[in-house]
Amino acid sequence: MSQLIWNGLFVGSFYALVALGYTMVYGVMKLLNFAHGDLYMLGAFTGFAVLGAAGGVPPGMALPALLGVLVVTMAVTGLAGVALERVAYRPLRAAPRLSLLITAVGASFALEYGMRAVAGAEPRVYPVRLGGSAAEVLGARITVQQIALVVVAVLLMTGLNLLVTRTREGRAMRAIALDPRTSALMGINVDAVISRTFFLGSALAGAAGVMAGAYYGKIDFLMGFLIGLKAFTAAVIGGIGNIPGTMLGGLLLGLLESFGTWWLGGQWRDVFAFGVLILFLTVRPTGLLGERVTERV
Amino acid sequence: MGESRLATIWSLAAAVTILTAGCGQGLLGGGQEGGDQGPIALGMLVPQSGSEAAVGPYMRNAAQFAVDEINGKGGVLGRKLELKVADDACDAQTAVAGAGKLVTEGVVVSVGGYCSGATLPTLPVFGKAGIPMIIPAANSQELVDQHLGHVFLINGTGTQQAAAAMAWITKQGATKVALMHDNTSYSKDIAVRTKKLLDEPGGPETAILEAVTPKESDYSANITNVLGAKPDFVYWTGYFQEGGLITRQLRQAGYKDAIMVGDGSVSGKLAEIAGPEAAEGVYATMTQTPETLQGAGNWIEAYTKKFGSPPGPYSNQSYDAVRLAAEALKNAGSTDGTKVIAALEAINGFPMFSGPLKFTADHTLSAGGFQILVIRSGRFVLQDALK
Amino acid sequence: MSAGARTRGPGTRLGRAVSRLLDSGWAGLTGLAAALLAPFVIATPYALSIMTSAAVFVMLASGLNIVVGFCGLLDLGYVAFFAAGAYTAGVLSTRFGLPLLATVPAVIAVTVVAGVVIGAPTLRLRSDYLAIVTLGFGEIIRITAGNLSVTGGPSGIYGIPGLVDGPVAFYYLTVVVVSLAVAGASRLGRSRLGRAWRFVREDEDAAEAMGVHTYRVKLAAYVAGAVWGGLAGVLFAAQLSAISPGSFTFLRSALVLMAVVLGGMGSTPGVVAGAIVISLLPEVLRDLADYQFFAFGVLLIVVMLVRPQGLWPHRSREAAP
Repeated sequence: MSQLIWNGLFVGSFYALVALGYTMVYGVMKLLNFAHGDLYMLGAFTGFAVLGAAGGVPPGMALPALLGVLVVTMAVTGLAGVALERVAYRPLRAAPRLSLLITAVGASFALEYGMRAVAGAEPRVYPVRLGGSAAEVLGARITVQQIALVVVAVLLMTGLNLLVTRTREGRAMRAIALDPRTSALMGINVDAVISRTFFLGSALAGAAGVMAGAYYGKIDFLMGFLIGLKAFTAAVIGGIGNIPGTMLGGLLLGLLESFGTWWLGGQWRDVFAFGVLILFLTVRPTGLLGERVTERV
Repeated sequence: MGESRLATIWSLAAAVTILTAGCGQGLLGGGQEGGDQGPIALGMLVPQSGSEAAVGPYMRNAAQFAVDEINGKGGVLGRKLELKVADDACDAQTAVAGAGKLVTEGVVVSVGGYCSGATLPTLPVFGKAGIPMIIPAANSQELVDQHLGHVFLINGTGTQQAAAAMAWITKQGATKVALMHDNTSYSKDIAVRTKKLLDEPGGPETAILEAVTPKESDYSANITNVLGAKPDFVYWTGYFQEGGLITRQLRQAGYKDAIMVGDGSVSGKLAEIAGPEAAEGVYATMTQTPETLQGAGNWIEAYTKKFGSPPGPYSNQSYDAVRLAAEALKNAGSTDGTKVIAALEAINGFPMFSGPLKFTADHTLSAGGFQILVIRSGRFVLQDALK
Repeated sequence: MSAGARTRGPGTRLGRAVSRLLDSGWAGLTGLAAALLAPFVIATPYALSIMTSAAVFVMLASGLNIVVGFCGLLDLGYVAFFAAGAYTAGVLSTRFGLPLLATVPAVIAVTVVAGVVIGAPTLRLRSDYLAIVTLGFGEIIRITAGNLSVTGGPSGIYGIPGLVDGPVAFYYLTVVVVSLAVAGASRLGRSRLGRAWRFVREDEDAAEAMGVHTYRVKLAAYVAGAVWGGLAGVLFAAQLSAISPGSFTFLRSALVLMAVVLGGMGSTPGVVAGAIVISLLPEVLRDLADYQFFAFGVLLIVVMLVRPQGLWPHRSREAAP
């Protein structure tokens, strides 16, 4: 039982980290950024390239080295997110909302198959691995590395939440989420704030990519697709646009999958997770912490 | 701009298109053949995009390797061979379009087919065109059950692989076996057939039959399930990417007993993904490969030199498919589909990696030639030939 | 957010000329004529196969256009109905030996029920929640088809009989069926119900206030879309003769949605054009091999940047010039 909970929370923290980017971008632009999962993939490959360029990492230094790589990768994927927004999304801000969906899917294809052209179709294996021995805690096997990853994820998420709720920048983001036009009239530089939002969201996805690469070891050019879908689901469960809700949504989705596998077997897991999601949304149509909004396609 | 002028423009445009493109490929044009000159085209449908894109290059390169080798020796029937590759994306519709493209390009034998789901709908496309198919990888029972004359499978079947797995499980003295598959037809087929053998009274029994979702990273939930059933033998019948992750995560979760994987997982990448310690001692059910054949070292070396990376899953079957096609063309003395099919049926003892070839009445291998491999220092080596 | 965008029409003279050309009624007939003449130009198995697939895709897009374009309901799991239609036809024809044509009433019944079952509890949700719920249903249908033995499990159903003999005849049949479906969808869009759909799309609360039974109207759109998708599934099963869960992934839902948006939501000729582009473009780019989908992605972005309203946007007749 405790093993199931721990499995769910661990996977869920990855979902949450990726889902946050979804939620932030949705919050300020009402855009479902389908390319977001591919930024996670880009992060994993950037980390892989940085580690390769740096040569070997002395054993025992794996964790600090990875933290360094994490920072570099976050900068790279963050900038990639900014570039993506500038090229593919900003020119279309006045167009119907779903037009952005096309460029998002287009960007997703371009990122995936561009990476395939650069790095090849076969999976790559991270040169540094977070393995390590497990300890029994309350009946669940937990490794130090897992705890380290969860701590990093929690720190990143808390930092983000503070940024959004306590700083000027965050207030600007929330203002744009409510009403971009009025925000502009009030002297907020909407373009700049949206750029920075993309930077933050993409950086978090990149961080999740490096962490997944280092922990699981295998990366490939399509790795972002499935987790992108999961992150979107998690964001909606929590109440899309709402940051603490999204974190909860990620963890909840992880738990649902873990318990679904246990109760019904692996082949029915996603049916279970989506089934619960649908039931949940019909009862509570705005997600866990989302607010009632009126808008249309 | 009035509507009448518009209509004129449209009809003009249409007329131009018809005039420029209409060169006998339409319904009214005469049927044209590729002619008996120039290279003989072999067609190969493999996934080059989509979820299974990683496997495409292994198969394509190996087939090209065989084509170059045969051409180096003067080709077949006095003509060179040419390999035409089309992407099937492991998707039925893309595969049917790709098969149509290959037929249109005049291929005389198909040597592709990896995903069963994408290969099945291409059978009638090649069949109607009278083109024999030598399928190197796809091996689901549905391909056999239709008893189509033009379809030949040179990969071991699920039944043969399950029997080999069962033999080794029994030999190891295992008592409770966990079967894990990825819910693709190939993988589930082997797992379910192995389960049937295990369910026979006496001997080892099934601890659990667990399906995982492919292309994910975290299988801890499935592994918790599997370990909850307390197995002393785990058999993974899917592909190497998940195989590597599952092996690693099983070991991390404290599982110490035997792990075995199916032939889709036999790749050096599995050991890389799992990490050297976790992968050490993992068994595999596999047809003979260059790695386990005496004197095949040169083949691997030459392949690696040519393509810059070592052969991978189904490289040897793809290589053999091309050689077999060439042999059948030579024996038939013609590129005519019916004659090539007859030549394929008559083949007896043609040397392939999987052993001397003779087709059964079902057009499958008479002997799967499955062996047990084991990972030693990151490489699959022969453990037991199951003779 | 979307309403303000429509005021920005094409400004240049060229733009106006193009728009007028696109708005003329001849486009549909010309397109149909082109589709009927195409096999006289090229009738290789490859060409017929991709043209048939494109026609089936057009039907899917015109069905989704009812849901997304006319009524404004974002559906990310449209493939669920496509799968329901294909599997119903496949199971009935292979297990009970029915000719494929005889399965059509059953397909319609099943898709209507599926539309109501999926739509009834979810249509009260607003767009993005509706999107994820439909996505979830799409995945549930696909996974369930892969797990049950009646649907053939992961390897699916094979040996589905065709509707007519030979690829040329089947192509013509497909073109006729799809043309009827497209024309039917277009007429629905102009009917009383269609005007209610557009009202709901533009402003649901206002529609409700004006006495439109929005829930019932939305459900009607959903069911109509479901039937279109299911019938496209029958054509799909007949074309391929084998269906498996791998053909009904989320990616296909996304591609159909892209066809609708790319062409211009709510515009019948636009959606047809969008569907043709989305289904043929990867084939045109096939020779780029490894760069095929990279080029596809980049082209999608470029097209949207050049024509943000879609290739052939809908212009409502009531709107002031």
